Amino acid sequence: MLTVISLLSLATALSADSTEASVLNLDEVVVVSGNASGQKRSEKGQLATIDEHLVRLSNVSLVRRGSYAWEPAVNGMQSERLSVTIDGMKIFYACTDKMDPVTSYVESSNLRTISLNSGLDGNPQATGNIGGSLDLRLRRIGFDQETVHTTLSAGYEANGHLQTYGADTEISGRSAYLNAGVFCRRADDYWAGHRTRVDYSRFRKVNAFANFGFRLTPLQHIDGTVIWDRATDVGYPALNMDVALADGIITSLSHHVDFPEGILNSWETKVYFNRIRHEMDDTSRPDVLIHMDMPGRSRTAGLYSLLAAGWGRNTLRFNFDLYYNRLFADMTMYPDGAAPMYMVTWPDVGTFNTGLAVTDDITLFPAHALHVSAKVAWQQQHLNSEEGFQALRVFFPLMEDRYYQTTARVALRYLWSPQHWQISAGGGWGSRAATVTEAYGYYLNNTFDRYDYMGNPHLKNESAVEASLSAKYTADRFAATLEANAFFFSHYIIGGVDSRISPMTVGAAGVKVYGNIPNASIVNASLALSGRLTPQFSWNARLSYALGRDDDGDTLPLVAPIEYSSALKFSRGDFFASLTMEGALRQSRYGEKYGETPTPSYTVFNLSAEYPLALGSTELTLRAGVENLLDRRYSAYSDWNSIPRKGRNLYLGATFGF
Amino acid sequence: MNKTGLYLTLALGLSFLSACNSNDDVLNDNFNGEITIDGDVECCSVEEARLVYNFVKTVREMPVFSDTIDGTYRLHAYTSGGSLHVGYNDLWVVVTKLKNANYVKEFTLQSITPLMTMQMASGMTMQHSAPTGGDAEGVTDQPSALKHTWVSFLMAAEGDDKWELSYSLSVQGGETHMITKAVNVAALPEGQSWLKSFKDESGDTYFLSLVSPDKWQTGSNDIRAYVSRKSTPATDPYPVADRVFTIDIDPRMPDMGGHTSPDNEALTLQDDDSYLGKINLTMTGLWRIYLTVKDEDGNLVAGGDNTLYWDVTL
Repeated sequence: MLTVISLLSLATALSADSTEASVLNLDEVVVVSGNASGQKRSEKGQLATIDEHLVRLSNVSLVRRGSYAWEPAVNGMQSERLSVTIDGMKIFYACTDKMDPVTSYVESSNLRTISLNSGLDGNPQATGNIGGSLDLRLRRIGFDQETVHTTLSAGYEANGHLQTYGADTEISGRSAYLNAGVFCRRADDYWAGHRTRVDYSRFRKVNAFANFGFRLTPLQHIDGTVIWDRATDVGYPALNMDVALADGIITSLSHHVDFPEGILNSWETKVYFNRIRHEMDDTSRPDVLIHMDMPGRSRTAGLYSLLAAGWGRNTLRFNFDLYYNRLFADMTMYPDGAAPMYMVTWPDVGTFNTGLAVTDDITLFPAHALHVSAKVAWQQQHLNSEEGFQALRVFFPLMEDRYYQTTARVALRYLWSPQHWQISAGGGWGSRAATVTEAYGYYLNNTFDRYDYMGNPHLKNESAVEASLSAKYTADRFAATLEANAFFFSHYIIGGVDSRISPMTVGAAGVKVYGNIPNASIVNASLALSGRLTPQFSWNARLSYALGRDDDGDTLPLVAPIEYSSALKFSRGDFFASLTMEGALRQSRYGEKYGETPTPSYTVFNLSAEYPLALGSTELTLRAGVENLLDRRYSAYSDWNSIPRKGRNLYLGATFGF
Repeated sequence: MNKTGLYLTLALGLSFLSACNSNDDVLNDNFNGEITIDGDVECCSVEEARLVYNFVKTVREMPVFSDTIDGTYRLHAYTSGGSLHVGYNDLWVVVTKLKNANYVKEFTLQSITPLMTMQMASGMTMQHSAPTGGDAEGVTDQPSALKHTWVSFLMAAEGDDKWELSYSLSVQGGETHMITKAVNVAALPEGQSWLKSFKDESGDTYFLSLVSPDKWQTGSNDIRAYVSRKSTPATDPYPVADRVFTIDIDPRMPDMGGHTSPDNEALTLQDDDSYLGKINLTMTGLWRIYLTVKDEDGNLVAGGDNTLYWDVTL
């Protein structure tokens, strides 16, 4: 179902998540695993990728460079302006070309939900989240479920022979619980519409995880996580290189205590460590001018401590967090018959960041509530690679090897729920420090605009003012939601051409250096309608519009054109089927100045069906569907270098639980 | 005792210990048994000897130059790698006394003359010299016992083409000895070309000797060179030119489609007769440094047309 269920009604539906008990919480959540009919999730169920679940969230789009590891964008903003955390843990991608957004290092089976906070109102651990924050919530069965449950799943997609296999088990007892499983996916090159093969779009992935807990006392428990995720032989048809290896290990241990009485509700403290190894590969590409190795490494260790309290009409959360991240990447090029050429592209940047956050949900009086969140964070960055530092000094002779930044955000939202209505209005201000790529990146070629990008250590923090409004009207069998938000940036960070510098990459158009432009603005608006036509049939539709402007009034890159979707759903008993239509108008306003080319309009149709069977104590869920029913050849604005999307694709999935 | 006091005591104790250690080093420094400090007035004091000793440990001796002088002294010559190659070579020389192996304070090494003898296909021989730094001179921050000069070989000694290096040596004002040694001069590896020549308007030939680019690293580097004028006759050593030039540089990476770096600075003449500029290198690999030689008034003398360049591979 592409159509979006209303934001506010979802928030109430999801109060099951114990740490998110507030009905005022504006998180938008997509359910990844577990029994969750009627809520947002991919129609492929547990077999869907995280990316397929993510597109179900409003205001989320995905930048595709291939059929694997799509980069989430929220409110038209990509990784630089988002916070992505895994159960509150910071994790940073290791590829200078953004081939591995951190969402690619987990699997659907690891997660229960993905929660989205739009704009500056981030989850407590989020920093730098101007566009929004995503928190990938790990799947934990919890204590006292008195169950041992095993799920086996298998899926097949005809287009690209994508195979998915998974097995996981849940064990819950009085004093301990465990979720553990393995998951693998493999796909060959897929076919775009009109039976054209998209070369270098294959991938392989294996994932194993264990989420576990021990109860110490009736009110205290320890939770832990180990996730190992390894993707190999991943093709990126939109880029010049593929990936030989993307390997992540994610670990955490946390202590949780509940306070049944008094002002304090709960206190959770988590320590964590994760590390990512990423290796690009061009050995299977023909006509490579110069073979090159481009590995990247990311390691992060950190902790957070989250205290929840209730006081009068206030539901308060205080969070302290700190983390230390090391990012290193280099590049070695091997010209025929000449000496190799070596450069450090991320100069082993060590970032120490610590922050304090507070959120408060205040019930003012019936039907009126206020949500406040604020965070201040301080960070220090040190360049540990002398070679990388000296190389950057060629371009910035006055730069130092150590920098300090302070960032902050504050957001406020007023909610009013008169009969049939839910209205909210909010505003906020927030800032972010430049990313390692923006501050210290070294000759990073961007295949989107064909420029080499240089970081700029003298960048100022970027800041934005956000205003948002949403109104939902609910009648008996009909609902309508209008949402809009606007971001007004100061010191917006974007690359600008520096003709003084010669490009490194053979064939590059030139060099861009990141800089602060005085201002920019991004506006998003959407209208969603839904209605129940008959007891079996329901219908919904969504229309969205976005705008992005730089200081000259020119369009920013990767801003969505007018997009629409509509779905007709049928359900009878447990059987569920849907016919959806989704599409976009021609991208008439595009970031020509930033190397973007316009994307033509398209409309595609999808069919899906789901049928759960109960066989005694075991359950079997069958899913089947056809994507791109009419085999259209198309690409959306967010498809890197306009690589075409999948043509007609038949998929089948079975999940067997006992 | 409070914690601060404890730390302070610990810190003091540690600094005391380390001070003791360094004193011990000084008193027990016996130059690994290689040098005896016996108060000989011709030789260095402990402090001077240590400076020289520490320096020569950073370079490599060329045994071919080792020579006993007057039955009392011994000459030692050093290069950075213990061998000679085409292009600029630093040469450091010391004279030690045989009886105590300590460095002698007063000596002169002059008239340094490289000589190439080539066997031509016609059966004739041809001879020429090469650029040199002239008389060996003292080194900054070092006692007079250490002296330095340089030689920039034009070509490798291969097959029947032989290099000889001759010089005159006098120790403690004694007899002047003329010494000639056959030396091996290796070709530079592929991707390294550190010596180039050009002709000025009047037809004089000049040589551009790039100084030790093997020490360069990614980033901003000093680029130093000497400009020498070919002598007449050609068998005389080539001295540094008395004409003043400016050498513009344009570093390019031929394997990267002519990639270059910003903010390079032209080489200009320094007080020590060398030319000094700044070169920025954005990565390792082969850099071709195109040269434009201009006179004092900025008029083009040579290069500027992609024919005059040094190659340096990092």
